[in-house]
Amino acid sequence: MERIFDLGVLYSTEGSYAALGQQGLAGARMAIDEVNASPDYGFSFRAEIADPRGRFDRYGPMCDALVRPGRVRHVIGGITSWSRKEVIPVVEKHEARLWYACPYEGFEANDHVFYLGACPNQHVLPLFAHAFETFGTRPFLVGSNYIWGWENNRIARELVTHGGGEVAGERCLPLGDTDVGRLIAEIRETRPDFVLNNLIGPSSYAFLRAYHALAQEDAAFLPERRPVLSCNLTELELDIVGPAAIGHIATASYFDSIPTGENRAFLGRVAARLGPKQRVSAFFVGAYSAVLLLAEAIRRTGTDDPAAIDAVAAECRPILPMGPLALDPLTKHAVLTPWLGRAVPGGRFELLEETGRIVMPDPYMASPLQDVRGLGDPTSRASQAPRLRLVQ
Amino acid sequence: MTRSLPAPHFRSWKALVLHRAHPAADALLKQLEKIGVAAEQCWPDLPFKDRGSSERPDVIFFDADMGYDEQFPWAPGQAPMPQIAMIGSEAPGRIEWALRQGADTHVLKPIGSSGVFGALLIAHRAFARRQALEAELAALQDKQGRRTAVARATALLMVRDGLSDKDAFRRLQTLAMASRLSLEDAADATLAHFGDADVGRNRA
Repeated sequence: MERIFDLGVLYSTEGSYAALGQQGLAGARMAIDEVNASPDYGFSFRAEIADPRGRFDRYGPMCDALVRPGRVRHVIGGITSWSRKEVIPVVEKHEARLWYACPYEGFEANDHVFYLGACPNQHVLPLFAHAFETFGTRPFLVGSNYIWGWENNRIARELVTHGGGEVAGERCLPLGDTDVGRLIAEIRETRPDFVLNNLIGPSSYAFLRAYHALAQEDAAFLPERRPVLSCNLTELELDIVGPAAIGHIATASYFDSIPTGENRAFLGRVAARLGPKQRVSAFFVGAYSAVLLLAEAIRRTGTDDPAAIDAVAAECRPILPMGPLALDPLTKHAVLTPWLGRAVPGGRFELLEETGRIVMPDPYMASPLQDVRGLGDPTSRASQAPRLRLVQ
Repeated sequence: MTRSLPAPHFRSWKALVLHRAHPAADALLKQLEKIGVAAEQCWPDLPFKDRGSSERPDVIFFDADMGYDEQFPWAPGQAPMPQIAMIGSEAPGRIEWALRQGADTHVLKPIGSSGVFGALLIAHRAFARRQALEAELAALQDKQGRRTAVARATALLMVRDGLSDKDAFRRLQTLAMASRLSLEDAADATLAHFGDADVGRNRA
């Protein structure tokens, strides 16, 4: 009889980041079903799904309930860093593994966690390298009062200092705050070269709408002159923000516009499964990737024993929508290709041509900044006219 | 939020882990590799003999459980780099010893896969702050020790040039400013130039 492995899935489908949790859950379930339907693996996953409903204090106990009985040894899930920090002591205690599949702020490399999402040298660094070459070195930094915003803005300040630029201003809003009037006034007054947006959810949507309104009044704030750059704006959020997001730029390890055959086939399967209107973002693909990487490791070892999976995970190369996935054995972070996309009508990102190079994970930012294209020589930047070249 | 200093990059740093071969040392070396710090384990001796050696590391992690004073080529508390204690036993005597040795912060054993980056950052800042305070203290102590010279130089100018104490002191200050010297150095220079004998002569 075919072997069955239990797999914990821990995403919130309610609360302030419900849309992202739903993406993670949908991605994990699709991968589980594909593994179960495929003759290649010789085993099936049985998903044990838990939903903390957006309450971060529920993640620890719910993860504990999943792994304590001993059957579930791998848990896919968590969107926020708070939830990850709640789950880590639980998986450490029970010698289980967490598969965390979201972009995050780095400065962590836990042996009990596989990191499938981008760390700062795979999101904010490439974004800044592009912005410095294209728009200038004087950003305005905005973020939510949360570790994601604090840490990305801190890295941004360091990059600006390194690049010989200047921070035009910096403002953090309380989580969930949509009162962005003062922020917009300050940006209008300081006229930065671009805006780095590390706001989360509703704050981010309110900000993009208000910035759009500002651009209607003053053409100096049109996206082609002074764009808003985000590390966490996804396809599904473009639908929520509406036309105000158009022209602005985001980075992600996956956009649904990646022009590969694998991606087209993958999107076809998503549409067949979930309907043609289903959005697919890096959060969906991150969870999908985690399940396929784990499945490949189990196929090779014949067990879901965490130590055995640790030993082979970096040798597995599952084929994913964005190409083969590799894992850095030292940090257990994914080797990713950071893409830059410009929002276009239809809720999609158009890829910028000069992006799409493989970047090794460096969660502690241990590599010299000079290695980052566009940040080495502050005099090499072209801060005049924007020149967005687009992939056909 | 408060504005912070840029985080130091530990990428060019060398660390020594003064601990016998043990999973705690292995886990620490692994974390250091992830952070980009080149690290070596050694026990019981440090691989350099004197305080000023060019081979000395940028940071030392030492075993607070089995460590002892003679392992270090400097007096307790005089380490020329940040030190981080690796604490297993929380017995007060061992913690006392680690503090006397000059631990800037600590990591707890067993060492897992977190805690080292934070410890490096805290130790780095604590050491820099301690260095700055010690330099300031040394300067103040030097100043205090040389109060006599200032008093004598003021007296010399009073007697020699028939000045009031206020005017004599002001002249010393002016001399210090014009020569870009500290008040104490200007006092020494005045005494050396005119010699203490001058005071006696004028008085006679």
